[in-house]
Amino acid sequence: MSESLLDVSDLRVDFRHDRQVVRAVDGLTYSVRRGQTVAVIGESGSGKTVSSRAVMGLLPPTATVTGSIRFEDTEMVGLAEKAMRRHRGRGVAMVFQDPTRSLNPTMRVGAQIREAIQTHENTSRGGAQDRALELLELVRLPAARERLEQYPHQLSGGMRQRVMIAIALAASPKLLIADEATTALDVTTQAQIMELLRDLQQRLGMALIMISHDLGLAASFADEVVVMYAGRAVERAPTRKLFAHVRMPYTRALLDAIPRLENASHSQLAAIPGQPPNLALREPGCPFTPRCPNATDQCREHAPAFAEHEPDHEWACWHPCADEVPA
Amino acid sequence: MADLPSDLVAAGVAPAADEAAVARAGGWWQGRLGVAVPAAMVLFIFGLCFIWPIIGPVPPPTGGNILNSSLPAFSPGHFLGTDAVGNDEWSRLLYGGRASLEIALAVQAIGIVVGGLIGAIAAYLGGWRDATMMRVLDVFIAFPGLVLAVAIAQGLGPSELHTIWALSFFSVPASARISRAATLRVREETFMTAARLSGTSTPRMLFGHIAPNILPQLLTYALLGMGIIMILEGALSFVGLGVPPPAPSWGNMIAQGQSTLSATPRYVFLPSAALFITVVSFNLLGEGLRARWGSQ
Amino acid sequence: MSSSTAPLSPPLAARAGLWSRLAGSPTLQFIIRRLLAAIPVLFGVTFLSFVVMNSLPGDAAQELLGASATPSEIHQLEVKLGIDKPFLTRYWDWLHNAVVGHLGHSLSSGQSVGSILGSDLPVTFELVGFAFLISLALAVPIALLSARKPNGVADRLSMMFSMAGLSIAPYVLALVLIYVFAVKLNVLPALGWVPPGQSLSQNIRYLILPAVSIGLGLLCFYTRLLRADLLEQMQGEDYVVTARAKGVRPWRVLSRHALRNSLFGLITVVALNLGTLLGFTVVIEDIFGIPGIGHELLQAIDNRDIPVIEGIVFVFAVIVVLLNLVADVLYSVLDPRIRYGRPTE
Repeated sequence: MSESLLDVSDLRVDFRHDRQVVRAVDGLTYSVRRGQTVAVIGESGSGKTVSSRAVMGLLPPTATVTGSIRFEDTEMVGLAEKAMRRHRGRGVAMVFQDPTRSLNPTMRVGAQIREAIQTHENTSRGGAQDRALELLELVRLPAARERLEQYPHQLSGGMRQRVMIAIALAASPKLLIADEATTALDVTTQAQIMELLRDLQQRLGMALIMISHDLGLAASFADEVVVMYAGRAVERAPTRKLFAHVRMPYTRALLDAIPRLENASHSQLAAIPGQPPNLALREPGCPFTPRCPNATDQCREHAPAFAEHEPDHEWACWHPCADEVPA
Repeated sequence: MADLPSDLVAAGVAPAADEAAVARAGGWWQGRLGVAVPAAMVLFIFGLCFIWPIIGPVPPPTGGNILNSSLPAFSPGHFLGTDAVGNDEWSRLLYGGRASLEIALAVQAIGIVVGGLIGAIAAYLGGWRDATMMRVLDVFIAFPGLVLAVAIAQGLGPSELHTIWALSFFSVPASARISRAATLRVREETFMTAARLSGTSTPRMLFGHIAPNILPQLLTYALLGMGIIMILEGALSFVGLGVPPPAPSWGNMIAQGQSTLSATPRYVFLPSAALFITVVSFNLLGEGLRARWGSQ
Repeated sequence: MSSSTAPLSPPLAARAGLWSRLAGSPTLQFIIRRLLAAIPVLFGVTFLSFVVMNSLPGDAAQELLGASATPSEIHQLEVKLGIDKPFLTRYWDWLHNAVVGHLGHSLSSGQSVGSILGSDLPVTFELVGFAFLISLALAVPIALLSARKPNGVADRLSMMFSMAGLSIAPYVLALVLIYVFAVKLNVLPALGWVPPGQSLSQNIRYLILPAVSIGLGLLCFYTRLLRADLLEQMQGEDYVVTARAKGVRPWRVLSRHALRNSLFGLITVVALNLGTLLGFTVVIEDIFGIPGIGHELLQAIDNRDIPVIEGIVFVFAVIVVLLNLVADVLYSVLDPRIRYGRPTE
C-alpha cells in the first residue's frame, strides 16, 4: 500500500467545444498524503478547478480525461460511474465556492445533510437526523437544532458554508477538497472557516486540498503548495520552502502582488501584466512567456519540464529566480 | 458552473451555461430538422394553396354540379371526391387552405404591428402609462374571446374579415406582452442609453433602435402563433363565425363535416390532416428559429 | 431567556404573535394587493361584454316572441323584462347586484342565473378538472424520463409525440376519437352526459373522450415545459453539482432536487394557460353535447339573454383572475425564500 492518499499523475483534461479542443489541464502531477494539506494555487483558467472535478468525476460529458488519478490504490480515471458514486462523499468530498447557489433552496438544511448521510449508510431517518445534528455541532453552527429545520436562505453566508462542510463530512471522507471555499466570504468569516477546516482536519485525520488564488491563505494553512498556470503545475514545494526560495517567476509575481502593510499608502499594486493564455491555442513554449520578466527565446520555443531541481522542490522554468538577497 | 467550469467560461472559451442548456433543450429533432426542412414544408404548403390553383388544373371550389354530389375518392376528374353539393374536394382543400392561411397571416401581421407597437411603447415609456396599458391588456386577455367572436358573428355576420378582427383580439395582446418583455430587456442595453443621451427623438428610438432588436423575437413568436390562430379559426367555425360557407376554409370544412362523420369521414379528416401538417410545420419552424437565435 | 412573568398568558401571546406576523406577512399583503388590482380588470371585462352585447341587433324580447311579433308586443315584453331602460342604467343595476351575488334571472327561462350557473359550472369543472389532472399527472413522469437521458430514445419519442399532440386541434381530436371509439369500435358514447351522482361509472364513460380531447394538448404542452426546465436545472444549477458530489444517484437528483424547483415554473404557466383552455372547452362541450357553461353560453348568445351572458362572463373572468392570483400566491408560498423571509443571524 502506497504512502500517499491521492496520486495525480500526468493528468490531462480536454474539452470538446464546437469542434475545438480545449486542453484545460495539461500534465498535472502531485500527491497528497494522509492528513496533509495541499494548496493548489492559480488564476482563473489555470485548471485548478477542473483538475479537482476530475478527482471527483464531476466533469461534464464533453470532457476527456487521460492520465492517472490514484486514490488509495483505486484508479479513478475511467472508473465506472457506479463505482465513482461510491467514492463521492465517502472517499473524497468537496466544498464549493458559492454556498448560496450550491445548496438546494427548496430543501431544508437537515434534509440535505441527511441525504449525504443516507446515500452511504443504511441508517434510519431518526438516526440520520441525529448524525446531522452532530455534524452541525462539529462545524460549530450556532443553534444547530433549529437550523436543521430551516432553509438555506435563512442562514448567512458563513453559516451556509458551514452547512456545506457538514454535508461534505457526512460520510467521513478521507480527503476533502475545498474549491475556493472561502472566496465568497468576508475576511473575518474566511479566517473562521479556515480555522474550522484546520481543526476538523486534525481531529478527523482528513487530508485537505485547498484550491485558491490566494497565496496568502496558502501560506497560513497549507503544508505544501502547488502552483498552477495554464493547466500545468509550474512549482511545488512545502510551504516554508516555497516562500523562502521562490523559483518560478510566476509565483514570484503572485507573491509580489499581495498587498502589504509595509508598502507606502497609495502605492500601485504590483499586478501581473497581461492575460492568461487562450487555452484553445497551444503554443510550443512555456505558457507564461508573454508575461514573464525572465523570458528568453528558449522559453518561447521549448516548454521547460516540471522536475525536482532542488530537494523536495519542483518547478518548470528555464530561468528561475534566485534567492532574494536580504537588503 | 455545473456545465462547464467557470474559469473556462470566464476565459471565453466555453459558452455560458444557459446557452448550452438552451441548445440542448432544443432537442435532437431540432438539430436534425433544423430550420430548412420546416421552412421548405411551409413554402410547399403556401405554394400549393396559393399558386397551384392559378396555374394548375384545379376546378373551382364552389358552384359545383349537384348531380355530382358525394362522389367517393378516386372518381374520374375528382381524385378526392366531391362534397354534398358536388364541389371538388381537392379544390376545396386548396382554396380552404388559402382562406385559413390568409386569415392567419393577416391576424399575425396585425398582431405584430399593433401589439408590437403597444407593447414597445408601454415598455419604453414605463411608469404609470405602462401600468395602465398593461391593465387594459389584462382586460382583453381575461375577456372570453369566444363571446366576442360569437357576438361579432351574430351582430355583424360571419365573413373572413370579421373573423380576422375577432382573432386579432387574441394576437394583439399576446404580441404586446412579448414585445413589452423584449423591449424591457433591450432598453437596458448600453447602446440604448447612449442613443438616448445623444438626444435621439422617441419615434426614432422606437423604430430605429428598438424595433430591429425585438423584431426577431416577435417574428419567431408570430410563427409559433400561426398554428394556434389557424386552430382557433376552426374553433370559430364551430360556433358560427369563421369563413361563411359555401366558400371553404379548413375550419368550416371540419365543422360542416361533423354532421356526416360516420357516413363520410373524409370530409372531416382531409382538412384535419391538412391543418395538422400545416400546424406542425409552423411549430417546427418556430421552434427551429428559436433554438437557432437563442431565447434572449 | 424570556422572563418568568409574561404580560399575556402563553397561548394568547402565541396567537397574538401569529396574527401580527400574519398581518404583516408579505404574502398576505401581496394577496391583498393583487386582489385590489384585479377589481378594475373585472370591472373592465364585464363592462366590455355589456357593451358588446348591447351593440348587437335584436334583443331578448325579439328572440322570445319570434319574427312575427309586432313592435308594440316587443316593447311590452321589453318593459316587462326591464330591458327598455338605457344602457348605463342597466349596467349599473346589474353591477351593484352582481357584487353582492345577485346575478339576476334569465330573460328567456326566468330561472335565476345563479341556479343556472350552479347546475352548469360543476359539469364544466369536472370536465376541465379531469383533463387537467390526467395531463399533469402524466406530464411529470414523462418529463422526468425525458430529462433523465436528454436526446435518448425516451426523450426523442416523447418530444416527437408531444409536438404532434400540440399541433392537433382539440376539436379535430374530438372528432377523430368519436369516429374511432364511438362509430367504429362502439365502446364509448359520442354524445351526452351522466352526472356522477347518478352513476359514477357512466359518468366516467361519457367523460373520457371529451376530457382526452382537451387533455392531450395540455399534456404535450406541460411535458415540454417541464422537460426544458428540468434540463436547465440539471445542467445549470450548482446545487445539482453538490448533490452529485454527495454521491446521490442521478435519478434521485432529478426527481428529488430538480423537480421541486421546476414545478414552480409550471404553476405560473398553467394559470396563464387557463384562459385559452376555457375557450376550447366551449367547442368541446358543443361537439359532445355536454351541458356545461360553454353550451349555456352559446345558447344565451343566441337568445340575447344578457343576464345569463353577463353572469357567465363574470364567472369566467373571476376564475381567470383568481387562478392567476392563486398561481402567484402558490409561487410565493411554496418558494421558501419568500415564505420565511429574510435570514436570521
